[in-house]
Amino acid sequence: MSLILPQFPEVIVSLISFLVLFGVLAKFAFPAINKMLDDRAAKIKDSLEKAEQTRVEAERLLEDYKTQMAEARQEASRVIEQGRKVAETVKAEIVAQANVEREGLLARAREEIEGEKKAAMAELQASVADLSVGVAGRILGTTMTKADHAALIDKYLAEVGSINE
Amino acid sequence: MNAIGPRVTELLDELMVHSLRGFPLTNYGIFLVIALILTLGFFLIASRRLTLIPKGIGNVAEMGMEFIRDNMVFDVIGAEGRPYLAFIASMFFFVLFNNLLGLIPGAKPGTGTMGTTVTWALIVFVTYNAIGMRKLGVFGYIKSFYPKGVFAPLAVYVMLLELISHFIRPLTMSIRLFANMFAGHVILGIFAIFTVLMWNGSAVGKVTAILPLAMQIAMYALEVFVAFIQAYVFAILTTVYINGAVHAGEH
Repeated sequence: MSLILPQFPEVIVSLISFLVLFGVLAKFAFPAINKMLDDRAAKIKDSLEKAEQTRVEAERLLEDYKTQMAEARQEASRVIEQGRKVAETVKAEIVAQANVEREGLLARAREEIEGEKKAAMAELQASVADLSVGVAGRILGTTMTKADHAALIDKYLAEVGSINE
Repeated sequence: MNAIGPRVTELLDELMVHSLRGFPLTNYGIFLVIALILTLGFFLIASRRLTLIPKGIGNVAEMGMEFIRDNMVFDVIGAEGRPYLAFIASMFFFVLFNNLLGLIPGAKPGTGTMGTTVTWALIVFVTYNAIGMRKLGVFGYIKSFYPKGVFAPLAVYVMLLELISHFIRPLTMSIRLFANMFAGHVILGIFAIFTVLMWNGSAVGKVTAILPLAMQIAMYALEVFVAFIQAYVFAILTTVYINGAVHAGEH
């Protein structure tokens, strides 16, 4: 019937109830739950740390690969550069040799031409002399002496030679 | 409408504490015992269904425990509060299970009677004072109520006020919890009576009965909220009092 005054049986029941609840849960339930919470927290912390380690390792590897890549690229361009230099040297040598050969050929050709020319000249000289003497004799109606011949030819040749030279 | 008086009287009479005939429990005590069995069962089962990846009933128990541990005990007391965690958690969950059980129609909250709330508030009172005395000794603990460096007569006066406030604590704790639970049930009962009387009263009443019914539903939602809030208040006060005892004489 009473509203505000505690009833003795309720005091006893609630006291015993709480003590039983506290005793049982504090011994059989709460430690397991708290342990699980702690374990999970530890596990999560562990996983995060491991993930961080893996990340750092991965970054290190990436850095390594980048360095290696750059080195390889440098090496490649060095090799190409070297090849190009060698090729240029070879080319220059070939060109130089070709030039030398060409000069040789030209000089020989020139010499031959010169020789031919001289021979032709000599032959022509001889023919021209005989012809001129013949022609001159016929024009003059006289036979010139050998001395006259020589003088005339020399004079003529000098004229022709000066033109030809 | 003339029937409302007797019905409310009947409701209040029903909500009074009665001894059950041929049974050592009262009408509240029986639900207290049911709540005890439910709380024990819940945690004993939950603590055996714990998995590293949280799920199911184990997860519910863990979330509750984590809330008490981190948001109450560690926040208020700090790491030194760990030994008192089981006590505070027991208080919180027992009060909560009682409050929630009382919301089932026909059931009553074990916390809806002064017999229970006074007893538990006294358990808290005895516990926190015992913690203080174990830390500082009986005399040292009592001396910690005496403020240092204060003009002597004023200090005596302050100490007296402190002692009174401590002795009032179990009373305020118990009345707060009891009154909230009791009043909640009175309100739910009254709106239930309104609804029924309107429905039975007239043809118009069959339509207007929707209003007290809507109110009843809203109040029911509020009472669910109150069940959690009052369990939280009871437990946080327990935590704060224990914190005062753990850190007594440090100021």
